[in-house]
Amino acid sequence: MKKLFNTKTQDGKMFIALGAITVILLVCCVAPIGIYNKHIIIQTMFYAYMATAWNLMCGYTGRLSLGHSAYIAVAAYTSLILFRSFDLTPWIGMLLGGVVAMALMLVIAFPCFRFGLKGPYFTLSSIAVMEITRYLLTSMRELTGGSLGMSLPYQKDNLLMFQFDDKEPYLIIILIFWLAAIFLLWKMERTRYYLEAIREDDDAAAALGISVNKNLIKAALLSAFLVALGGTFYVQYYRYVDPATICGSTMALNLALITIIGGSGTILGPTIGAVLVIPVTEILRSNLGDKLSGLHLFIYGILLIVMIIYMPKGIISIPGIIKRKRMAKLANPAGGEHNG
Amino acid sequence: MAETILQVKNISKSFGGLKATNNVSFDLQKNEILSIIGPNGAGKSTLFNLITNFYRIDEGDILYKGKSIVGLMPDQICKLGITRTFQVAKPFSGLTIFDNILVGCLSKSATVAEARGKVDEILRLVKLDKKADEMGGRLTTLERKRLELGKALATNPDVLMLDEVMTGLKPHEMEEMMEFIMELKKRMTIVVVEHVMKVINTISDRIIVLDHGTKIAEGVPQEVMNNPQVIEAYLGRSAKNA
Amino acid sequence: MIGLQILASGILLGGIYALISVGLNLIFGVIKVVNMAHGDFLMLGMYAAYFLFTGLAISPYVSAIIIFPVFMVIGYVVFRLVVKPLLGKAETETNTILATSGLQFVLQNLVLMLFTADYRAIQLEGGATSFNIGGVMLSANRTWAFLICLILAVALYYILMHTRLGAQVRAVSQDRDASVLMGINVDRIYALTFCVGVAMVGLAGAIILPVFSAYPTVGTFFSTSSFVVVVLGGLGSFTGALLGGLIIGIVETAAGVFASTELAQVFSLLVFLIVLFVRPQGLLGKGARV
Repeated sequence: MKKLFNTKTQDGKMFIALGAITVILLVCCVAPIGIYNKHIIIQTMFYAYMATAWNLMCGYTGRLSLGHSAYIAVAAYTSLILFRSFDLTPWIGMLLGGVVAMALMLVIAFPCFRFGLKGPYFTLSSIAVMEITRYLLTSMRELTGGSLGMSLPYQKDNLLMFQFDDKEPYLIIILIFWLAAIFLLWKMERTRYYLEAIREDDDAAAALGISVNKNLIKAALLSAFLVALGGTFYVQYYRYVDPATICGSTMALNLALITIIGGSGTILGPTIGAVLVIPVTEILRSNLGDKLSGLHLFIYGILLIVMIIYMPKGIISIPGIIKRKRMAKLANPAGGEHNG
Repeated sequence: MAETILQVKNISKSFGGLKATNNVSFDLQKNEILSIIGPNGAGKSTLFNLITNFYRIDEGDILYKGKSIVGLMPDQICKLGITRTFQVAKPFSGLTIFDNILVGCLSKSATVAEARGKVDEILRLVKLDKKADEMGGRLTTLERKRLELGKALATNPDVLMLDEVMTGLKPHEMEEMMEFIMELKKRMTIVVVEHVMKVINTISDRIIVLDHGTKIAEGVPQEVMNNPQVIEAYLGRSAKNA
Repeated sequence: MIGLQILASGILLGGIYALISVGLNLIFGVIKVVNMAHGDFLMLGMYAAYFLFTGLAISPYVSAIIIFPVFMVIGYVVFRLVVKPLLGKAETETNTILATSGLQFVLQNLVLMLFTADYRAIQLEGGATSFNIGGVMLSANRTWAFLICLILAVALYYILMHTRLGAQVRAVSQDRDASVLMGINVDRIYALTFCVGVAMVGLAGAIILPVFSAYPTVGTFFSTSSFVVVVLGGLGSFTGALLGGLIIGIVETAAGVFASTELAQVFSLLVFLIVLFVRPQGLLGKGARV
């Protein structure tokens, strides 16, 4: 019964956090905080959303994909090309992009899980898919503009065409994306347990009646679909894509880094990670960018190494660690008495 | 007359050129405890892996409640009512004990809340209720064995297959575990793979003996223990010559 | 004739790939750790050789000898700071991948900040010449790189198969726990393996500098190629890595001639994926599926 109570308050805490973030962001929308700050907030929420989607597969199942950029990229290019060539609204292009991303994921995830690829082998195959996708995007010059990239034709404020002159609509849209992703993850409670069990030991999970492949593929497809929606958002917001940026390892590693700093395999971990990492790096980049153009990534790298070694469960694990230490302190004198 | 719940018919399995299981057959009666014994490498755990299809059989058939379960995935076999434990306990180290059991309960529960309601009873049953919030990776040997058993029980099986749950336990812990298994027999059918003879003699209704993947004897404990072939398999040819 | 030329060029390119991936194979095979920053050590080796050449006029073939011990030290520092703390803990495989990915960021951007993103290439005297053997043209620089690869492979093979140290390394790579029981200092073997692995790729960086330009992210490309070669040949199998290198070299050269360089990469990655799915232990590897 105690556990039930605990879990309930955890849900409660989560809803308070979600509510607070939503209110803060809506206030930011109307507050006169300047375009640049709004840009940083949008970036933060974008990465919070993307890392949440990455975490859904990689954090919960332990199958580390460092090639998620591929799914972001195919969707971004799909909706952009459809818009440029057929004036198709990105709202629909986005969904089609999601379908393409899922198809690509299925092509790779099905054999991976079917043949039981795990650990480094899975990660390497995810990277291979990303590299292949990038080479193809670069080589199909007529369609994609090659390595020079492709820009989004400007249209004046147009909700139907997912283009706005101000930052606020983008902020609200990415907020909705993020809320939807969190809500989805929260509702998938059973699947989350299944995925965690599979992560810990897939044979033991199968012995308890969990269909390992079905759940892994479900998580992979959902993850690909969600990051794909983010890919279209990326195009609509930055109005430009090129293969190296959107289909490179930096993008994929970013999602891993953010998730791990916040806490992988938890609902709010990736969001916490994004809130901690993105504003700082954005400010670093814009202040030092010209002088030391690699500094923020250099710091990223050190941060990632330090976190993996000293706090692999992320910032979100700190309260738990403190609580356990306190309990151990309380238990120790009692244990001494018992022995005496 | 007891009703047959599981029929293993002439199953074989080779790894490379080695016959790990050779034409093994047996029937399992409802609410009995059947022990599978044999020297190291006799193919006892392999038999478990074949029945639950962690390894696919090369030949033969396995009928559960009259229907073939050959080719079903391990999770489907579990859902039908056959749950096995692993020789080396496989706790979900990164989950709490509560969540370890909860995962087991989920397979037969319509909602997570319903599953949650069943956990405490299982925890009490395997005496882990005080450890509910601990992580699965931080348990003693006995606790790991209990957790392994608890996870299997959480799936509410009709046939429970226990792979060496006694190994590594102290004598009084063994007594405790034996009583517990005898208690379980009232509710389900149990297959055990075991090394400890005292345990086998006490709890088994019937025993089958494997040697080099082949069934060499079957019967009630007394009968099997006096079988010369079994004695030879256990003590080795040298003992007989001496 | 073109077929023969492709074969010859492919073999030379394959030798270079094999040379680059030897260190990765060693570390992967013995410590069971994927060093994602592998290509970035190559990049560091290239820069080191570049500055030794432009500053002190030392030929890369000579500076390789200086670079080797220096990179052993670098390897040791990295091993102690980044890899060692993760060994023997939960999720070592995934965590080392992430930590060495972090290292990739660190090294690439350190070089970017120090030396900018400019391409740096050197011209060796007579380097642009080719040997003409019966109508088949062999680039001199690539031929040297290929020969050095062969010499190194033979040397490494000899050390592994015919010395006491080599026997210990092989023992650790096959069964870590049993090696501990046999009184082998596994930590020392791990450290040494990592140092040598890093030093080998640093050396490779010097050797390939006459062929490829150095820039901060050049390692990413070679990292991927190395993974392909190592997985294709079979983890921990040296003859396998050589074979893997040659296959990829020939496939890429052929695809480069008949299609385009980008598609050449796509081809070799597709081969890589298929091998991963069908035969993850590699063409010559014996290891079980992990």
